[in-house]
Formats: sequence, C-alpha cells, structure tokens
Amino acid sequence: MNYDTIVIGAGIAGMLAAIGRAEAGERVLSLSKGHGATHWAAGCLDLFDIGAGDPLAEIESLIAVHPDHPYALVGVDAVQAGAGRLRAACEAGGYPLVGSLRRNLQMPTAVGALRTTCLVPATMAAGDARQLPRSGDGSGPLLIAGFHELRDFFPPLVAANLCALGFAAEGVYLQVPPTERTLDFGTVSFARLFDRPTFRADVGRQLRQLVQRGRYSRIGMPAVLGLDNATQVVSDLQAAAGALIFEIPTLPASVPGMRLYRALETALQRVGGRIQIGAFVRHAEGRGNRLEAIYSEAAAREQRHAAARYVLATGGIAGGGVRADHAGNLVETALGLPLRTPNARADWFAARFLNETGHPVFRTGVAADASLRPLDAAGQVIYENVAVAGSALAGCDPIREGALEGIAAATGWKAGQL
Amino acid sequence: MDHIEFSLTQSLDHCIKCNVCTSACPVAAVTDKFPGPKYVGPQAQRFRHAGQPVPDNSVDYCSGCRVCNEVCPTGVKIVELNARARAQIVAERGMPLRNRIIARAGVVGRLSCGPHAPLVNAGLSIPPLRWVIEQIMQIHRAAPLPSASSYTFRSWFKKHQPPVGARKQVVYYHGCSTQYYEPHVGKAAVAVLERNGYEVIIPTQGCCGLPLLSNGDFAAAKGRHMYNVESLLPYVRRGIPVVGTSTSCTLTLKEEAPELLGLHNQDVRAVAAGTYDIFEFLRNLYDAGDLDTNFRPIQRELPYHPPCQLRAHRIGMPVLDILGLVPGLRLNESHAACCGIAGTYGLKKEKYQIGMDVGAKLFAFVQAANSDLALCDSETCRWQISHGTGVATKHPIEILAQAYGL
Ligand code: SF4
Ligand code: SF4
Ligand code: SF4
Repeated sequence: MNYDTIVIGAGIAGMLAAIGRAEAGERVLSLSKGHGATHWAAGCLDLFDIGAGDPLAEIESLIAVHPDHPYALVGVDAVQAGAGRLRAACEAGGYPLVGSLRRNLQMPTAVGALRTTCLVPATMAAGDARQLPRSGDGSGPLLIAGFHELRDFFPPLVAANLCALGFAAEGVYLQVPPTERTLDFGTVSFARLFDRPTFRADVGRQLRQLVQRGRYSRIGMPAVLGLDNATQVVSDLQAAAGALIFEIPTLPASVPGMRLYRALETALQRVGGRIQIGAFVRHAEGRGNRLEAIYSEAAAREQRHAAARYVLATGGIAGGGVRADHAGNLVETALGLPLRTPNARADWFAARFLNETGHPVFRTGVAADASLRPLDAAGQVIYENVAVAGSALAGCDPIREGALEGIAAATGWKAGQL
Repeated sequence: MDHIEFSLTQSLDHCIKCNVCTSACPVAAVTDKFPGPKYVGPQAQRFRHAGQPVPDNSVDYCSGCRVCNEVCPTGVKIVELNARARAQIVAERGMPLRNRIIARAGVVGRLSCGPHAPLVNAGLSIPPLRWVIEQIMQIHRAAPLPSASSYTFRSWFKKHQPPVGARKQVVYYHGCSTQYYEPHVGKAAVAVLERNGYEVIIPTQGCCGLPLLSNGDFAAAKGRHMYNVESLLPYVRRGIPVVGTSTSCTLTLKEEAPELLGLHNQDVRAVAAGTYDIFEFLRNLYDAGDLDTNFRPIQRELPYHPPCQLRAHRIGMPVLDILGLVPGLRLNESHAACCGIAGTYGLKKEKYQIGMDVGAKLFAFVQAANSDLALCDSETCRWQISHGTGVATKHPIEILAQAYGL
C-alpha cells in the first residue's frame, strides 16, 4: 500500500505531523510501537520552564543564542501554531486546554509541590496557584480529596506540603461509592467509574457535606475524573459540591494524557489517517539521499512500509527513540540516523544525579536543518524526504527545559506543513 | 535461550511499571477477578520459580487477547509470560475435563459435522440440554457455540473443478472452523485465489493447536504443530506460500506455537515465514501489481472488527487496504479492543459474563451501525458478535468474492 507520508511515533509530535499532512490531502499512516509519551505525561503543555514568567519571550531570546535548538529551527510562529492546533484538537473533543503562551502556570502536583506548565486542560484550571487560598487571606481553605483505594495519591501529604508553601489546605479521604469493583483500583479504573453519573453523584454528595462543614472554596482531586467525558464530570461535581474543582496529575497511567491522545487520535482519523500501534520500526532502506522503505517488527517476518515521505517522531532517550546498544554507542532506533551525542560514555552523565545543568546524554538527538531534514556530522542532508520532530531532535533537553510538549507541538506541527 | 526464555529472565527489567498495559486490558476493565497484565505478567513472574508452587492463580483470567503487548511501550512480552504461567499451573494441577474438550476443536467438529449436523445443532439449541452441558461441562448455557455444517470443506474441495491453466500455486490452510462449521469461507477463499491465477493446494493438516495452547496443554499442542510443520514444509521449501482465512490459525503457525513451545528449528521457522493471513497475502499481490482489481461496485457501508488475533500479526489492517479498493464499499473500523470470546475463553461458565462485558463496547458499535451485516476475520469472534448483537457476520473474503462476482 503506498502512502504519501508515514509517521513513526504517536506522541504529540507525530500525531500533529500526521494530522497536518492528512489535512493537506495526503494518505497518511501512523506507526508506533505502543502507547508512550502521552500516557506517561501530565496531559499539559509545558512550553519553557522559567517559573511564572512569559515562556514565549524566553523562547524568543533562546532562539537568538541557540540556533540549533528545535525551537530555533522552526521559529516562534510554529510554536504558536503547534500549540494552537493541539488546542483545536482538544476543543473538538469537548476537552479544551486553557492558559496563555505568554504566561506560565504553576500547578499543584501529587506531592503538593508546584510545577510549571503553560496550557492545562480546563479540568485542572482551578488549580492555578495564583488563585489558591493562602493561609490568613480569609477565603475558604483548599480541600484535597482522594481515596484510600487509589494508590500514590495521599491527600494529607499533598495538603501538608501545600501548607508549607503558604497555602491553606486540608486533606481528606472520601468513601468509594458502592460499585461491583472492590479490589485494586488504578487511575483508569477510577476514571471509568467517574464516567458513570451515579458514581459521581455519590462523590458529589460527599463533597457537598464537606464543603458545608468546612467552607472550602476549591477542591483538588486526583486526575481520574472521567475518561470519556471529563469536562462534564468536573462540572457535575462542581455543581453538586458548590465549590470549584480541579484535577491534579497522578503517576502513570496518566488519565489526562490518555484523553489528550484520544483527542489527537480522533482528529487524525477524522481526516482519514491510518493508525497502527504495536508496530516497532526497526530499520530502514535508503537509496542515495532518499528513504525508500521502513520495516516494522511483526509475527514471523518484518512488515515493509513504503511512502513518498516520512516523519520520525520517536522521542529521545526517555521515549525510546534513542537507546544505547551493547557496544555502548547511542543509536537512533528506527532509521539508524547518526546522532549528535556526547563523545564517550564517560561524558554522558554529570557527577551529581540531580545536576544543575543536567546530564549531557539527554541532549542527544538527530541534528536537523530548517526543514527538519536529518543531517550528518558534516552538516549534509541524509534523507531529503525525512523530517524529524519532537524529542528525537538534537540540541535540547526537553524534560529539563520543561519544554517537552512545546517542542513536540512546534516541530510536529511544522513537519505536518512541509 | 529462546526469545521468551530471554524475556522471562531479562526483559522483565524493561517493565517500567507504567500501567499502560493494565489501563488497556479489556478484562481487567470489567472484572475484579483479574488484576491486569502488569501484575500477573512482569510482576508475578518475579515470584515464579521452577519447582515452587505457582504464587497466584489469577493469570487464568487472562484471555490472551494481546492488547497489552500491543500497547506496552517497552516491548515486554506479557501475553507470552501469561500463557507460560498458565501452562505451569496446568502442568502442576492437570487440566479440567471441560478445557480438554473445548481445546480439541477439531475432534468436536469432526463428531458434529456431517449429515447429522442439523440434529446436533438442534440439540445444542435446546435450553435444558445446554443446562445439562453447563452442569457437567462448565460451558455456559448461553455461550455462542457454532453450528456444525452438513458437509466438510475438504469433501467439497475434492469434488471442486480447479480452473485450467493456473501458473502459480498456493497452499490453503483451512483450520477447524472452515472444515467443520463454515465451509463457505473456504469456498470464497478458493474462488478469490483462483481468480488471481492460483492453483489452490490443500494438503493434509490438523488443528493448529491454539485452543490447546490457550488452555495450557503444551504437550498436546506441540504434537499438533509438528504434524502441521511436516505436512506444510515440502510446499514451503518449494516457495509455495501458505495462506489462511483464520487469523488465529495463521498466527499460531507464524508465531504462537514456535514461541510458546520454544520450537525454533529450521523447519518450524521456514513454515512460520511462509505463512500468511489471506488479506496480507492479497495486499502483497497488490503491492507487486499482481492483484486483479476488476471489482464490481458494492454500494454498502459495513461495520468491521479487526480481531485481536489479527492485530497480533502486527501487519496493520490488510482488510481495510484491500476492501478499500472496491468501489462504493466503505468499512467502519470498530476501534474496540476485543469481542470477549478470545477463542474458548468466553464459552466457559465462569468467564462467559466477563466475555460479554468485554464485548459490550463492540456490540454497541455494531448495533449503532444499523447494518444487517458485520465483518470480522476471526470465526469465534464472528459467532460472539452475532451472539451479542443478533447481526449476521461474514468473513471479509466473502465480500471480496462478491466484489469479483464469484
Ligand atoms: S505497559 Fe509494559 S512497561 Fe508498562 S507496566 Fe505494562 S509491561 Fe510494564
Ligand atoms: S492478553 Fe488481554 S486479557 Fe490478557 S493481560 Fe493482556 S490485555 Fe489483559
Ligand atoms: S474473538 Fe476476536 S476479538 Fe475476541 S479474542 Fe478472539 S480474536 Fe480477539
């Protein structure tokens, strides 16, 4: 089957690239080895972590000094357009993202710290730290509510740590409403329960009683408030409780991340893109400076895929797009592209685990030109029909920079327009 | 050390405990009896040691649908871990009579198929009799049992006149269900292959052994697989491809049997590498410019469920690719994880309801399509869909035959 474009990787970068090309009328196939990036992350858009400032302004000055950074390759316009396309996909799924590229948000985490991000789903909006009640400011305190049955989310701990930051917060455990499920609740099992109106009505009643007794103005809950219909779940809970409600991201599997993936998946399917997961692309076949075919792992023999153009969006070291082989060399896993990498293994890591400037190894990636085409060490284009997007690109440390989704959205969107 | 042996000992460490698999597992989504792939797979495996009792029985509730493998971002072979763990339980404690019987689809089919089939079928539709079967055999009284055919596929093929002048040859692996229950699927496959210039060869063959594998009887499954390898090998060695219409049979020949049973000799590998799902085969023909694409238009929109056993081939959606070439025909993909039957899983008394709950999303999709026909490549899946929705089901190859005017 001949495709116009094959996109490898189904995170934000790959999906936005696939959507862009399919919207332009191309036949598009998305290949990915599994669910990854989106399902691990908080489901927000981190643009650049400079605390509560203007991330776009920071990106503008970064571009001036780091011409190799992915943001510099695609420019500020792509940053705005990419974030805009992501918003539109979420909006179309009834799951709007809120915030401004001109102002970062600081949002409570599952350990009661504050984390910088830029755009958040509307279900998290009321957690914006600027709006949270501070001790002694006279407004009703913040309530953090969870369930004993949900592991890794401890309301008293979250509340205590928020108090240490000067907020007025209390933690409480709610009763799980009667359900046929009795054992082992994970984030997703809770989300499915919240999708049921009776379940959330019961939780809403418990919250209302607490609000009447404690005058709480806002309630923070783990981000498990529905999978299919989160916006409705949160508004139902708010109406029942009589207080604003916001979600706090949990450990994986991340329900907000899954919602984001679903919105992108729907957007791609709507424009006719084909999605194949469980397809681990392992090598490629090129002729001259054109990539001719790629091969994915399959039962008994590999599957060959051919297209006119390709987008590589497999992620960096954390996402599995780059790994170390047995000889100790870093390799790009899908196409075998050369990496811009710290030279010797000894240079990969800084001496301290939590090092101020990060570990050099995480800046490893594929160098690319302004059309995102992969470059070799001499700066020559390797394949003119390949674009690289997201954390697979060299010149950035997306997690440290707090720019993971921003880089993905900007470069993914750009790859979709080329 | 084979592939799975390796993952038993090593790739466990690839598990980053992200719970992506458990979030996607359709069984864990509907029942408390199954804690999900992360727990029974990579996690429990750390506590399984040769010579020591099995630490946990819940792995028996894994349906083997392979959704977890499909979504795991780090490539942990969860389903294989689960299947081997179940085999360890069976080896320790023996296999219940019921599983012994339903694991032998071929034998059951042989006994019910033939001129007396209407009698058997009528008997199986009498509620009191099904109640008795449930009591004795633990096969749920409502579970979708297939209707036996009044003739076998092979008996039809013996009388079938092959076209003259075919220049290419292909082996058709029909499996148990085409042989005893749905000969019409095999007839459509033969017609399509002949239309594309092939002489169809049907060598002796036995059950692929998948029901034995999924019920944990590895010793018997090994016998079945080696029998088929021996019978198919001469053709494969001559470069003649083996194609099948049953996605689970072809998957077993390609991968399940060799991997689970640790069979990796040259012969086994050659047969695996020479076996194709029929639409995968047709898609290869198309890519090579060799597929006859003279289709009559079919003005229809049909719901299509890509069964998990097809998705486990990891070859994409060849049915959508090929039927997409038929003018007027539109297939809507279900996007449902599983129909719930998972071979013999949903037949079992204690698992029937789980299977129906797993299938609920798919049933709703099929019903919402408002069509009198749904398509699916896997037989047990088709029976389950019809059982859950009352909508008739066909193998996509039957529609393709229709598009050729056959
Ligand atoms: S999806 Fe894979 S890595 Fe994640 S918990 Fe499951 S087995 Fe482990
Ligand atoms: S094979 Fe299916 S039922 Fe078994 S653990 Fe994996 S997803 Fe769950
Ligand atoms: S019956 Fe179909 S969907 Fe269900 S388990 Fe089998 S192949 Fe998967």
